[in-house]
Amino acid sequence: MKISLKWLNDFVDVKDYFQKPEALAEILTKAGLEVEEIHNGARDYEFVVTGLILEKDKHPNADKLSLCRVTTGDGVVHQIVCGAQNHKANDKVVVALPGAILPGNFIIKKAVVRDVESGGMLCSLKELGLATESQGIEILPQNAPIGKAFAEYMGLDDVTIELKVTANRADCLSHYGLAREVACLLGRELRPAFDEKNLQLNSLSSQDQIQLEVRASDLAPRYTGRYLKGLKVGSSPDWLKRRLEMVGLNSINNVVDCTNYVMMELGQPLHAFDAQAIRGEKIIVERAKPGEKFTTLDGSELALTGDEVMIKDSEKSLCIAGVIGGKNSGVTNETVNLFLEAAFFSPMSARKSLRAHGLNTDSGYRFARGVDPEGTMVALNRATELILKVAGGEAFSAAHDVYPNIQKKEAVSLKVQTISDRLGYTADPRKFEDFMQRLGCRMEKISDGEYQITPPSYRFDLEQDMDLVEEYARLNGYDQIPETMPTLSMTPTAHDANYLLQRKTSEVLRAEGFSQSQHLIFVGTKAQMKFIKEPKILEHAGLSTSEMAVKVLNPLNEEQDSLRLGLSYGLFQNIKTNFHHGNAIGRLFEIGKVFHFSGPGNYQENWRLAISAWGLPSGLWQKNSQAPLVFEIKAAIEALLRSFHITSFQWEPIVDKGDVPAFLHRGQAASLLVEGKKIGFLGTVHPVILDDEKIRAPAALAELDLEVLFKTQPRVRKTQSLSKFPRIERDLALILPKSLKVGEVSELIHKEAGPFLISLQVFDVYEGDKLEIGQKSVAFHLVYQDKKDTLRDQVVSESIDKLLVTLKSKFQISVR
Amino acid sequence: MRCLSSAQSLGFHYNLKSMSQTSNAQSKLDSIKTQALQKMQAAESSKALYDLKVEYLGKSGQFTEIMKEMATLPKEEKPLFGKLVNEVKQALELAYSGLEEQLKKNEIESRMAGEELDLTLPAIERVVGSEHPVSKVTHEIFSIMARLGYSLRQGPLIEKDFYNFEALNIPKDHPARDMQDTFFVDETHVLRTHTSPIQIHSLENEKPPLRIIGTGSVFRVDSDISHLPHFHQIEGMCIDHKVSMSDLKGTISFFVKEFFGSAIKTRFRPSFFPFTEPSAEVDCTCPICKGKGCSMCKSSGWIEIGGCGLMNPKVFGFTSIEYPKWQGFAFGFGIERMAIIKYGIEDIRLFPENDVRFLNQFE
Repeated sequence: MKISLKWLNDFVDVKDYFQKPEALAEILTKAGLEVEEIHNGARDYEFVVTGLILEKDKHPNADKLSLCRVTTGDGVVHQIVCGAQNHKANDKVVVALPGAILPGNFIIKKAVVRDVESGGMLCSLKELGLATESQGIEILPQNAPIGKAFAEYMGLDDVTIELKVTANRADCLSHYGLAREVACLLGRELRPAFDEKNLQLNSLSSQDQIQLEVRASDLAPRYTGRYLKGLKVGSSPDWLKRRLEMVGLNSINNVVDCTNYVMMELGQPLHAFDAQAIRGEKIIVERAKPGEKFTTLDGSELALTGDEVMIKDSEKSLCIAGVIGGKNSGVTNETVNLFLEAAFFSPMSARKSLRAHGLNTDSGYRFARGVDPEGTMVALNRATELILKVAGGEAFSAAHDVYPNIQKKEAVSLKVQTISDRLGYTADPRKFEDFMQRLGCRMEKISDGEYQITPPSYRFDLEQDMDLVEEYARLNGYDQIPETMPTLSMTPTAHDANYLLQRKTSEVLRAEGFSQSQHLIFVGTKAQMKFIKEPKILEHAGLSTSEMAVKVLNPLNEEQDSLRLGLSYGLFQNIKTNFHHGNAIGRLFEIGKVFHFSGPGNYQENWRLAISAWGLPSGLWQKNSQAPLVFEIKAAIEALLRSFHITSFQWEPIVDKGDVPAFLHRGQAASLLVEGKKIGFLGTVHPVILDDEKIRAPAALAELDLEVLFKTQPRVRKTQSLSKFPRIERDLALILPKSLKVGEVSELIHKEAGPFLISLQVFDVYEGDKLEIGQKSVAFHLVYQDKKDTLRDQVVSESIDKLLVTLKSKFQISVR
Repeated sequence: MRCLSSAQSLGFHYNLKSMSQTSNAQSKLDSIKTQALQKMQAAESSKALYDLKVEYLGKSGQFTEIMKEMATLPKEEKPLFGKLVNEVKQALELAYSGLEEQLKKNEIESRMAGEELDLTLPAIERVVGSEHPVSKVTHEIFSIMARLGYSLRQGPLIEKDFYNFEALNIPKDHPARDMQDTFFVDETHVLRTHTSPIQIHSLENEKPPLRIIGTGSVFRVDSDISHLPHFHQIEGMCIDHKVSMSDLKGTISFFVKEFFGSAIKTRFRPSFFPFTEPSAEVDCTCPICKGKGCSMCKSSGWIEIGGCGLMNPKVFGFTSIEYPKWQGFAFGFGIERMAIIKYGIEDIRLFPENDVRFLNQFE
């Protein structure tokens, strides 16, 4: 909220901070009232002063310009060229002298206008930033002083500070409330909020004019009201308007301005009813009926929940108490008589009303956080005084004050030792007593160092001993808290195993040349489904998911209205962004959560790994042969499996084309089986979607269920002894049908080659002219070794012969 | 050396002549040796030299022939002759190895002359992937706190209202809920707005004393130049029999020095969080300007990095942990903010965009 220093000064002497508001800001910030911004109005109008036009002549070289000689009381006659038409000699005007910077960063300098020197500018209100439109320059009243700083003349030479008031400190949401805090912090005297002597009342009774019946004292513990008559509603005087503008409120009319003024001054929201609109001369305060309709002053119709407190007359609802007024009962220019309300509505009812209807009003904001129930009548009186002052009329005696149950604060007991224990330094009982006194708490000493503290009515945040510990720490200064290291009295527990495995996964993939990415979990429902098409297919590939994405009830926009079902969609979007940012090549992975809906109130979250690759290295002077991109991802995944000591895994080509994820190339997709369980897919991105997104590079994607993978862990592998015996190496070139997957042949070789095969590699794949159509040649490199003895050639040869027999019997294979 | 050994060989030859009667074999031996040495010295390549070695000393070489002749000699001459043959063979072997070493050396020299490599050519790149700055900072913080005995927890992202709000002393309708604009999944489930629900899970499932750090994604209805709807936090919680604000300050101060550097100081300012009492905002000396004042710290020399406080007894009330038998403190930081400060990242939107030019800077 905005605080005016001049206004604050009405209640506590802060004149010494006018020149150094930063010092006050520092004190407030250190006390937990964070100052976000300081605005010094005097500095806005430096070099802008009031002046008198001594002479006005025509500009010798321009018909529409005038040449004025102006005094600003400094003994110099300023020659100023002016384009306006509405001024004459002897007018009092606003003069911006060289050096002034007007709103819009308009810098005033000495200038030559059509060969004539001009030393400043005569200003309009628009140029001064005080009006949106102006007819000519501003002519000040004849009694205006000459040579006065314009900011001071207009009362704009004030400092405003923007204060961030935390939700627990509603007592500081007004000038008087903040003055109370400042008085406490600086140890200065707090001036009274209002002097009753200033209140002029007639001898008639308010209660006779308008009856009051409070039927919901639980939600409206205190309700006060006064009748005023014979008012003249109109615009507010400048001083009133200015103060409201200073703190960011617009002027509406003199009566409403007075209620707003008192709210900003004392923190008590008030409401003014046009007395003529109150049917039956009666105000009823009661709980709303569920389903009841109410039209607010801005015309929106609300269906009430039954938690609201309503202000009614004998026929209809006038207001949602403390939150918002209704149509047809507010103050207008025709209003003559007034019923003025000041009340204490319970924070809970105000919160419920605000939340149920999505409302946020200055008044509701304060009631929801807590308004001082002991300040209600003071505020009513202060508002009465102000209204009489600016709108005339008379105010009636015998105001209503229905306050059946005094709002008592619970006493809190506290030992000073607790303060010492919890702050980590020795608290001083005398200091404690002083602080409590300054805070306005009632204090009862139970024994040495033990107290019963009753907080003041305006503090809603002092409910337990720890709240008072905080007050001590705050007033004594948080910088008094020393730094100590707590001793470790426990056996440390294990880390989340998942985190450590994610970390390991990340390390392996980074070593494989893939960089980590992290995307938002939000996706557009439609766009995601357009990409995935059939989540069922992903389920076939081993990724648990469903058709039902988790929807966000209040999304930021349609592009972020649900949570991702998988990671591939985000990584594909990322390929698009990167490629169009000019990054022709990239290798990324993401470890992140995906979500799906699995029944009311039941949401599944799973950790996934996805890997993307796009673009091939180009312009290399070493001409390396390049395997298709998808094999890079495959290599990275296999490195990951090895690092987890998983040796049993298979890549299973997705044979049924209907089972290939929609975004993958139908002939270049496989699912991964780890120890017999499908955990995800790998494939080349479908050329059509690359083309649609104008990605002119090959791309590949993989996505795996990390949780299934992690379930195999931890797995500690014992170190194998190293064989001292020689190896025997053999190459085997086989001719096989094109359709036969090399993986199947490799698998069979592994199975049948006997115990001495320690390595099997594919070192050549050939398809072409030298072979019959429909055939391919695949060359394997086999390494044999015995751990305990020298392996004889003959053993290997026999083993290979046997292997070939088996291969030939299983597949249509011949040796090349 | 080579010449010298040849001379020695000739010396033996002379002795042989004087000591024994002339025989066919002996003169043959003599001429072969001379001839072999001449040829070997004339050899132009190690290959040619090797061929000569095979010709004379190989299995079917000339010396093998001579040895056959030895059989025809009288019995008493055999030892002497055998000795002479061996001496000649050794001389030739010696000559061979000397010549071979020189020839091979010359050959390698001349090969290297044609094998010059331009080492200013670009290297064959072995790319190592980079770590996302959010993970990087998370792990840096984790590593520091793990030394103090803190264990990491992650927790679910879709949370029950109870864990995200109620149990953290943020009742329904309370204005404190306004502090965190919440994404709702249904009436009782939200996307967690902070990592603090991890505290409650830990208090429910584990036994004190406890030192926990909770980390991961959090969500707020906020998206502009300085806010992401999905960002990350890390927070710590310490539960023990006696826990004070000074312990909290000491812990955070240690962390800040480890994370930003030993010259960085920590400052506490009073604040309000429903789940801590007393509560504090944590400022540290601006690591960019070292407290002199810059645009990052808005010329104040201090920069806000997180919030902290002693666990509000009301929070314990929602769990089975007894207060004040057990007390605690908690603190939390925004990961992106820490990364922005430490690594000078200019725009928070770079984090979820994942442009490889950005990511590659965190290798």
